[in-house]
Amino acid sequence: MRENEKLTSNVDWLLLIAYFVILTMGVMTVYSTGYDKETSSFFNFTGLYGKQVMWICISLFLGLLVFLIDSEIYRKFSIPIYIFTLLLLIVVLFTPPINGARAWLGIGPFGIQPAEFAKIGTAILLASYVDKINIRQQTMTNVLICLAIIAIPMMFIILQPDAGTFVVFTAFFFVLYREGVTFDPLVLTFINMFPGMKFKKTWIGTHFIPLLFVLVFISVFTLFMSKTTFDIASLGFYEIPSVVVIIFSYFIIALLFYLIGRNFVDSRSRKKFVIVILLTFSLFSLLSASISTVFNSLQKHQKNRIELLLDLNEEDQRDGEDYNRNRAMTAVGSGGLLGKGYNKATLSSVKSKHVPESETDFIFCPFAEEWGFVGTAVLMGLYLFFLLRIINIAERQRSTYNRVYAYSVGMILFYHFAINIGMNIGLVPIIGIPLPFFSYGGSSMMSFSVMFFILLKLDSQRRDTLF
Amino acid sequence: MNLNSRKYVIIIFISIIGIVYTFRLFHMQVIDDQWKLRAQEIAEKRKYIVPPRAAMFDRNNKKVVSNKAYYNLMFVENDIKDLDTVAFAKLVGMTVDEVKKRFIDIREKEGYFKRKDGKRIPNYQPVRPYAFLKELTADEIAKIAPNLDKFPGFYEQVTSMRDYPYAGGANILGYLSEVNQNEIDEDRFYRSGDNIGKAGVEKFYEKELRGRKGVKYIVTSALNNVIESYANGKYDTLAVQADPLTLGMDITLQVYGEQLMQNKMGCIVAIEPSTGEILAMVSSPSYDPNLFVGRSNISKNYPILVNDPKKPLFPRPLQAEYPPGSIFKLTQALIGLQEGVITPNTSFPCNKSLVGCHNHPDARNVSQAVQMSCNPYFYGVTRKIIQQGKSRNNFIDAEIGLGIWAKYLHSFGLGIQLDADISGLRSGLIPDPNYYNNLFPSKKRPYGKHRWAFSTIRSNSIGQGEVKLTPLQMANLAVIMANRGWYITPHIVKSVGENGPLPQFKVKHKTMVDAENFAPVIEGMRMAVNEGGGTARLARIDGITVCGKTGTAQNPHGKDHSVFIAFAPMDNPKIAIAVFVENSGFGGTWAAPIASLMMEKFITGKISDPSKEKYILDAILE
Repeated sequence: MRENEKLTSNVDWLLLIAYFVILTMGVMTVYSTGYDKETSSFFNFTGLYGKQVMWICISLFLGLLVFLIDSEIYRKFSIPIYIFTLLLLIVVLFTPPINGARAWLGIGPFGIQPAEFAKIGTAILLASYVDKINIRQQTMTNVLICLAIIAIPMMFIILQPDAGTFVVFTAFFFVLYREGVTFDPLVLTFINMFPGMKFKKTWIGTHFIPLLFVLVFISVFTLFMSKTTFDIASLGFYEIPSVVVIIFSYFIIALLFYLIGRNFVDSRSRKKFVIVILLTFSLFSLLSASISTVFNSLQKHQKNRIELLLDLNEEDQRDGEDYNRNRAMTAVGSGGLLGKGYNKATLSSVKSKHVPESETDFIFCPFAEEWGFVGTAVLMGLYLFFLLRIINIAERQRSTYNRVYAYSVGMILFYHFAINIGMNIGLVPIIGIPLPFFSYGGSSMMSFSVMFFILLKLDSQRRDTLF
Repeated sequence: MNLNSRKYVIIIFISIIGIVYTFRLFHMQVIDDQWKLRAQEIAEKRKYIVPPRAAMFDRNNKKVVSNKAYYNLMFVENDIKDLDTVAFAKLVGMTVDEVKKRFIDIREKEGYFKRKDGKRIPNYQPVRPYAFLKELTADEIAKIAPNLDKFPGFYEQVTSMRDYPYAGGANILGYLSEVNQNEIDEDRFYRSGDNIGKAGVEKFYEKELRGRKGVKYIVTSALNNVIESYANGKYDTLAVQADPLTLGMDITLQVYGEQLMQNKMGCIVAIEPSTGEILAMVSSPSYDPNLFVGRSNISKNYPILVNDPKKPLFPRPLQAEYPPGSIFKLTQALIGLQEGVITPNTSFPCNKSLVGCHNHPDARNVSQAVQMSCNPYFYGVTRKIIQQGKSRNNFIDAEIGLGIWAKYLHSFGLGIQLDADISGLRSGLIPDPNYYNNLFPSKKRPYGKHRWAFSTIRSNSIGQGEVKLTPLQMANLAVIMANRGWYITPHIVKSVGENGPLPQFKVKHKTMVDAENFAPVIEGMRMAVNEGGGTARLARIDGITVCGKTGTAQNPHGKDHSVFIAFAPMDNPKIAIAVFVENSGFGGTWAAPIASLMMEKFITGKISDPSKEKYILDAILE
């Protein structure tokens, strides 16, 4: 065995370089948000910048440890690791709340967020379980166990409550989709309850996850753009909840489907066809309604959090309920093509306080403000490359275990990327989750890095796997 | 079922999100300008810097009005930590309850009114600074400031306010006070909290005194704290203090005049005849201008002064309208001479059956008539002016005559509002034909058109009846006498910066009486002061030829008012003066010596007869 050579020879250098580039841009932005002409220097490690440098050092050390350990250990100990992270999630519920959530474990500035580490535990257990399933003869039990592995940590997380991480856990459904864990048994059971229904397979069940994603995306987007109600000012009397408008448009679409579709369906299946359309319509409507309710309550929670932090002045009151969103968009938009220059953010620097949380959830703001579209385009390119490279790596794995894990990492990072940047540019509701490798924060930095280095290690050892 | 192809679904998802986001960023950052404008609105603010108000100097370059530093004790509630109220109350000299009440008052006072419905929105914000104590003097803050480090959240702030080194001239100088909403709406120069001149020179010369505000462009935080200057101060402008005003006033004379008028009610107006500059304008009783410095002083002292029965806030020289008494005879003599109804040598017997008079020999000419102030003489003169025989109808004749008479008097600046540089001037009253045509003193005896003639209005001939003048107009009459027929509108400010007076104060107003007709009247004035039998012997000054005329204005409510107008010296006059002492009796007794002291003080700088000065200073005539 050529141990030393093996450690580094199969590492995906491109991915590692991209990781370091994003890391550097992130820590530079953290430095810039807290920038102060008098006191700041790259070697002044007091303040958030210094702490972030420390978190990065710890993360890299953990990454190195992960790299030195044989990756087989995670598969062997997948259940203990999963249970350990679950225990952390339970323990954290008994701590005193900080900012209205019981998310922090530990003392003072060195607390960790168990929810961040639960992602790793879930990914590992899911990978090892899916690896064991015979995908061609999967049973209802298989599907339910997969769902349980994901749903149990989600349950504890929403109890904290941490809506952001809760949403991120749905990334695992995409992994299941890729692996072919089908929701057909569930959907079939549901549909076949109705008289005259005898389906063996449904299109909805097979592509349930991407459909769900599209549905969620459409619902959230329309809801968000219309701010919970459509104000029909010209009529003057009614404010129609936007969910009603969405359900109404589903109805129109369903009607169109029926009118066009019935010409292609033979008369014997006509009844079935109508029922499928009706079921799909009610399912979609139900989902949209619940999503709208969930997001409305989420946004209110965010609003209160901000009102606690700031005494709004007259100018701020104009931004009103959408204070965060408007301030963030203003900061991003004011960057222009070339930006205001490094360390020159006026809206999103920490001391200006216009953009709240500008070093964590809204760190994209100072970056966009200082580097302009040139900077943001480069960062978008980097993240896209990073994510697609992970998908690429996932697909080249020989073992299902490795592939499931790689997809889990890829999809979780994708969710963080899409939600975080989306809320910075006003396309996604404000649910506070960090930008991976970029935002200030110890837990997220460590958990993402460990997750990433496990992936790197698995990839470098992919040839050891025997068929 | 080919699971491998499902990777494309995921790749497409990721790519679509990436592309949509990139386009969105391109639109927000490059194409759409609204975010850049919004960013400016939010973070870039203009801060106005108010320059110190221009100073004022008197004619001898003595500083009359300047600025002095005052201090506000500010606090920011959120910065206050563990306030030891007992120690703090002791430091600021209040009780604990007062301190608490003060905090509550500040909190309740802060707010603004909605434009739409006028609803009051409370707007107290614990992150913003407010003044706990306002307008402390250097001495007061010196006791507090060294101990402020024990009270985090409190700090001192300097402001500039008016300072009056001489406690005189309050009614000329005026005072400053905070702008009200109307003034802000009228002139966009002002913002809430700015000061504006509310009276006197401060009000009239507001634009000349206020200077130019500086603008500082700053970047502010969400809490309105200044973070840095915008673009390194490239667009900032400096506050520019306006050039000082030079007043025509002689502050020494002004203060002296106020001393002389102590314990008397009335006023003194002294004017330099050749320029129309007001040398002194005393209104008694008056007040110390320092009582009106700063909001707390004004709110404390204003109610006291405004409720004082002696009306110290009433600017008598401008607004009190008195019957002029015998000084009015000067105008009658001049008009008579100009109209040719009398000559310098015309004589009228002192016929006391027409109008009462004191005992004196008959006046053989105009000069003697003026010297002795013979009532029947001027009764005759005025009758000749009014009843010139231009119509056979006595009533129509009187109407024509009075029309001519009033026009002459208007040319003396009487009965019209003088265009002086101080607001609130009254015009006095010179009755013209319309006045009597519309006047109904009683139902029994209405005037009405063609129902009055000279005999009805004869009292005016000796300055009683309907005629009323303000003390400023009386002084202006003295100016006209001194100048032999012209005047420049009396004004307070000699020069705005280096630019001289306002243009309207360079114009000579000619009266309708020619210069040669003044000689006999002025001779009479000289004799009244300097010759035996004159009415104004107490106005005599050794070595200076004073010309003057006494007056005694009958006062139906009490003792007569004492009036005197004069100028000196006779040739090339340097000062013209009017003195009015309410309820003090005959003009020669009080007004004349006061005028003489003022003139001597101004011309020679000292007083040759201390007994006269003592006589006036000791007098209590209230």
